[in-house]
Amino acid sequence: MLQQPTRRVLSTLARRPYVCPACLRSARSPSLATSPSISRPLLRNLQTDSQALPQEDTPFRKQLKDAARKKKKEDRAAPGSKKGSKKQSDPRLEKWELTVGVEIHAELNTAHKLFSGAATSMNDTPNTHVALFDVAFPGSQPHFQKETLIPAIRAAIALNCEIQPRSSFDRKHYFYQDQPSGYQITQFYEPFAKDGHITLFPHDFPGGVSPEGGPITIGIKQVQMEQDTAKTIQQPPSTHLLDFNRVSHPLIEIITLPQIHNPTVAAVCVRKIQTILKTVNACTTGMEMGGLRADINVSIRERNVQPGKDSLSYSGVTGLGQRTEIKNLASVKAVEDAIVAERDRQIDLLEGGGVVEGETRGWTLGSKTTKRLRGKEGEIDYRYMPDPDIAPVVVGKDVVDHLRSTLPMLSDEAMQVLVDVDQYGLTPKDASTLLALDDGNRLEYYHDLVLDLQGMLSEEEAKAARIGKVAGNWVLMELGALFKDETWSAIRVPSSELASIIACLIRKQITGRTAKLLLVMKFDGEPRPVQQIIEDEGLILRPLSHQEYVEMARQLLEEKPDVVDDIVAKGQHKKIKWFVGQMMSRGAEGTVEPGTAELVLRDLLHLPAE
Amino acid sequence: MSPLQIAKECLANQSKHVRLNAFISRASQASILARASAAQDVAPGHWPPHGQLIAIKDNICTTDFPTTAASGTLKNFTSPYDATVVKLLRDAGAIIAGKTNMDEFGMGSHSIHSHFGAVRHEEEEGTVLSAGGSSGGSAVAVSSGQCTAALGTDTGGSVRLPAAYTSIVGFKPSYGLLSRWGVIAYANSLDTVGIIAEDVETTKHLFMTLNKYDSQDPTSLPPSTRARLGATSGFNSDPRHSQRPLRIGIPLEYNISDLHPDVKATWKRALDLLELEGHTLHPVSLPNTRHALSAYYILAPAEASSNLAKYDGVRYGTRADGPDGTPTSVLFAQTRGANLGLEVQRRILLGAFSLSAQAIDNYFIQAQKIRRLVQQDFDRVFATPNPLLSTPDTHAEDEGVDVIISPTAPTPSPLLSTVSSQPPTSAYKNDVFTVPASLAGLPAINIPIMVPQGDKQRPASPSYHSKYSWRTLGVQIIGQYGTDDLVLEVAEALKEYDEAGFNDGEKVREVEEDA
Repeated sequence: MLQQPTRRVLSTLARRPYVCPACLRSARSPSLATSPSISRPLLRNLQTDSQALPQEDTPFRKQLKDAARKKKKEDRAAPGSKKGSKKQSDPRLEKWELTVGVEIHAELNTAHKLFSGAATSMNDTPNTHVALFDVAFPGSQPHFQKETLIPAIRAAIALNCEIQPRSSFDRKHYFYQDQPSGYQITQFYEPFAKDGHITLFPHDFPGGVSPEGGPITIGIKQVQMEQDTAKTIQQPPSTHLLDFNRVSHPLIEIITLPQIHNPTVAAVCVRKIQTILKTVNACTTGMEMGGLRADINVSIRERNVQPGKDSLSYSGVTGLGQRTEIKNLASVKAVEDAIVAERDRQIDLLEGGGVVEGETRGWTLGSKTTKRLRGKEGEIDYRYMPDPDIAPVVVGKDVVDHLRSTLPMLSDEAMQVLVDVDQYGLTPKDASTLLALDDGNRLEYYHDLVLDLQGMLSEEEAKAARIGKVAGNWVLMELGALFKDETWSAIRVPSSELASIIACLIRKQITGRTAKLLLVMKFDGEPRPVQQIIEDEGLILRPLSHQEYVEMARQLLEEKPDVVDDIVAKGQHKKIKWFVGQMMSRGAEGTVEPGTAELVLRDLLHLPAE
Repeated sequence: MSPLQIAKECLANQSKHVRLNAFISRASQASILARASAAQDVAPGHWPPHGQLIAIKDNICTTDFPTTAASGTLKNFTSPYDATVVKLLRDAGAIIAGKTNMDEFGMGSHSIHSHFGAVRHEEEEGTVLSAGGSSGGSAVAVSSGQCTAALGTDTGGSVRLPAAYTSIVGFKPSYGLLSRWGVIAYANSLDTVGIIAEDVETTKHLFMTLNKYDSQDPTSLPPSTRARLGATSGFNSDPRHSQRPLRIGIPLEYNISDLHPDVKATWKRALDLLELEGHTLHPVSLPNTRHALSAYYILAPAEASSNLAKYDGVRYGTRADGPDGTPTSVLFAQTRGANLGLEVQRRILLGAFSLSAQAIDNYFIQAQKIRRLVQQDFDRVFATPNPLLSTPDTHAEDEGVDVIISPTAPTPSPLLSTVSSQPPTSAYKNDVFTVPASLAGLPAINIPIMVPQGDKQRPASPSYHSKYSWRTLGVQIIGQYGTDDLVLEVAEALKEYDEAGFNDGEKVREVEEDA
C-alpha cells in the first residue's frame, strides 16, 4: 500500500500510447518484497504494444536463458538499482557466506481441530468452537481427527517427502495463557514426513533469474503436525482477551535444511512453499492472512577457510557458524529483510572482533535490524515427552499412493503446461506471474476464461486467435491494471463476460478500444451483459465503405499540405501513421480500421503499400 | 436387605464416622433416601450397583458435586460433565453417595496430602491409622460402612494399598478396560479406575457394569481386542470348577528383608490355603522388580508435571490474589505456588527435572526401558501370552503360572502420626509390591486374608486357630493382561478357602490333629 501514489501515476500512464522504455524496465522487475497482490499486471499492460512476443517455437529453456542474459545486461546497465548488483559490489559478502534454514508453520485446511471434533473457523464469534479438551478441562482426553492427515500428507508429498509409516505425537511444554494445557502437542521424536526437497527454478525468481544461475534445490528435513494456540486480543493497558476458537487448529511445520545462502532464495523458497501448499489445497490462507508464519535461523562463515574446531553443525550440515533464530515472521518480505539485517549484523559483529551469541531475535517490519529477545540462558527447555494418550499414527502405503495419484498439478508442472504452445502458449514470465498472483486465484480465473472462450469459439477460431496467449494478456494486463489498487475478485468481471468481450474482438465485431471500454464498464459495475451493452450502445463495428475512407482521407490530406509534402517530397513515409491516427480519431468510435486507412492513404499519395 | 434399609444403614454410618474425613462432599440424606425408595419400587433381582450407595473418588468428574482432586486449585470446581464410569453407574441404577477424600491428584500413599485434611482409619477406638493412599477416602468409606462400594483410581497402587490397610477388596483392572474419560489425570499411562468393595462379588458386579469400550477415551481397549481377550484365557476361569489345578506363582524378589512378619505370615497362609485345595505353587523370578519402584517414581512424576501444567487458574479453578506474571515474576508461579500442595509441587519438580534436556536420557528414557523389562518379566512367567503383543511367547503352557500371589503392602497399616512425620520418600516404599503390575498394566486385586497375630513360627497352622487373636492383612493377586475374570475368580475362591478354613476346615483339621 505504501506505493499507492506511484502506482496511481503508473496507471494513468497506462492509458497513454507512448511510454519511455527505460521507465518500463525499471518498473518491470518487482522485488519479492512486493506482496503478490501488488504485482506486475499494470506494468505489463504498458508493454503490450512495444514488446515483441517471443516466437512460439522457442523452447522454454532457451527463453529462460535469454531472460537471464537480458537480466545480466540490465544489471550491468543500471548498477546500484538491483539487489544482485549490491551483492556483487559488497566485498564483505565476498568474504562471508550466509547460511539460512527456514521453519514454516501453516494452518491446515481441515474441518475439525487436531484433537477434538470442534470445527475449525476463521472469523467466527470468539469461543464458539471449543471442545472440553481444547481448553484442557480436567479429565478430558484428545481425540485425534485422522482426516487432518489428508491435507498434511498432500503437502508432504508435494514437498517430495517420504511419508513415515509410523509417526507419533509429543508434548512440548511451556506456560502461556494461549496454551491451555501448558503444552503444545507436536511431533518431535517421530514426524510424519521426512527427507523431502524443494527445487527453485529460475522462473520462481523475480525477473526469471536465479542468483545461482540454474535451479536451486533445498532439502526439507521434516514436516510435522502440531496444534495452534489460542488467539490473544490485547486490550491495553493490561487486559488480554483469549479466543480459543483457534486453539488446536491443525498446523504443519516444515523445516528446511540449512542450505540457503541468499536472502532472496530464502524468500522465494517461502513463497514457493506457500504456493505449493495452496495448490495442493493443504492450507487455509496465505502468509499475509496469518495462516502461515516463518522462523529462520541465520549464521555466517568465512568463505575459503577450512572450518575450525569450533564450527557447528545443524541438521547434519557441518562447518557452520553460530546461528541465531528469528521468530514469527509473517510475510515473505519480512523473511528477506530480516535475513539481510541479521546477516549484516553478524558480519559487523565478527569484523569488529565480536562473537555471535546463540540467541533468539525478533524482527518488526520496517526496522533496520533484528532485536534480541532472549539469550541461550533464557531458552525454554520444552521437556518433550511422548503423549501417553495418543496412539502412534500408522499410515498405510495405499493411502499415500491414493493421495499421490490424486494430487493437484503442482506449480512446476503447471508452468510447463502454461508455456506449452499446444496448450496455453504463455511466456514463462506471464505464466509465473499468473501462478504467483492472488494465492493462485488469478490462475483459476484464467483457466475459467480460457474454458469460456473455448465454448464460444470454434476450434479453428480459437487456435488461429491463440486464445491462451490473448486471455493471458487480458487477465494480466487489462484486468491487472484495473485491479492495481484493489483486492482481486474473480466475480467483479465474471470470466464469461470477459470471454464475450474477447470473443467479439477476435471476430472483429468490436475494435480493441471498444473492448477495453467494455471491460472498464463491467469493472465499474455496469449490470448489463456485454452483448446487450454492445447492442444498446451500437458498438458493433460497422465497416466504412471504401468511398467513405477515401473521402475522409482526402479531406485530411487537403487540410495538412505541409505534412503531405514531408511524406511525398522528403520521403518521410512514417508520417503516414500520423494521418492514420487522425482518421481513427475522426471516425466514429471503432469504425476506422488502421490497416484499411493506411492502404487508402498510400493509394491517394501514390505510395506503394508496405 | 432392601435398598432403603442399606441406604439408612450407610447414612447412619456416615453420621457416625464424620471424623474419619472420608468424604469431601456428600449427597444429602433426603436425596439418597428418595433414590433408595425409588429403587425399592423396581422389581427385585437387580445386581449391585442397582440401588446401592456408591462413593466416587474426588478425581472423577461428576456434575452434581464439585470435583476437587483434593486440591486447592480445584476446590471450587464443578465439572460440566460426568465421567463415563459415573454415567455407567448412574445408568445401572447406582446412587452416588458423594465424593471421597484422597491424596491431592492421587499423589500419596496415606491420604494425608489433601487440601481437605487427612483421611483417618480407625480399627479400634482411639488408634488412628493410615488409610493408605491415594484412594484412602474411598477405602475408609467402604470399610466403615458408609457406602456399599466406591470407585478409586490406581496409578501405582492407590486402590490396592488402601484396601490392604483397611482390610477390604480393592481391584485394579487391566489398563484400558475401564474408561478414563472424566478421570483427572495424574500419570495417564498408568492411571486406572479401580473398584473398592467389602467383598469380591460386589467388585465383580461393578466391574461388569464398568467394563465397556468408550470411544471418548483414546486408550480404551477397542472392541476387537476385547473380543480377543475372552478367547485367550483358554479354560474356565473359575478355579473351583476348572479341569486342572491352578499354577500359582510366588515371586521370589517380593520376599524382601523388611517384610513385616504378619504380612509374611498372611502371604504364606494364602499360599498354604491354595495348596491345600490342590493348586500347585511355583517360585518365579521377576528380576526387574527391584528397579520398578525407582522407574515408577521417575515416570509418574514426569507425566504428572505435564498433566498438571493446565492448572493455571485461567479458564477454571482457583487463582491467587493479585496479578500473575508481572514483569518481575514467572507467569502463573503465584497461582500454582499458592494452590498446589507441597507433595504435588515436589512431584512436579521431580518430573520437570527428569524430562529436562540434561536429564531425560538418564532418567525418563531409562525408566521407560525398565518399564518394558518389568513387563517382559511378567510375560515370561505367565502361562498365557500377553494379548497386546503381536508375537505370542513360545513357552509351553505348563511352564508358566496362571496368577501370581504376593503381599500388597510390606507392612500393616502404620499409625497416622508416624507417617505424617516421616520424610516424603519413605511413603514411596509402600508401593513396592503394587507398582510392578501398574507399570505392566496388569489386573491386580487386594483381598483381606486372616492371619493369627504374633506367631512367627507356625502362622497358618490350623491347630492354633482358637488360641490366637486373628487379624486380616492384604494379599495381592496379579494376572496376565486381560485375565481380569481369572483374577477375580481366584480372589473369590481364595476368600472362600480363607473363610471356610477359618470356620470349618481348620477346625476339622484341628480335630484330626488331636486325634
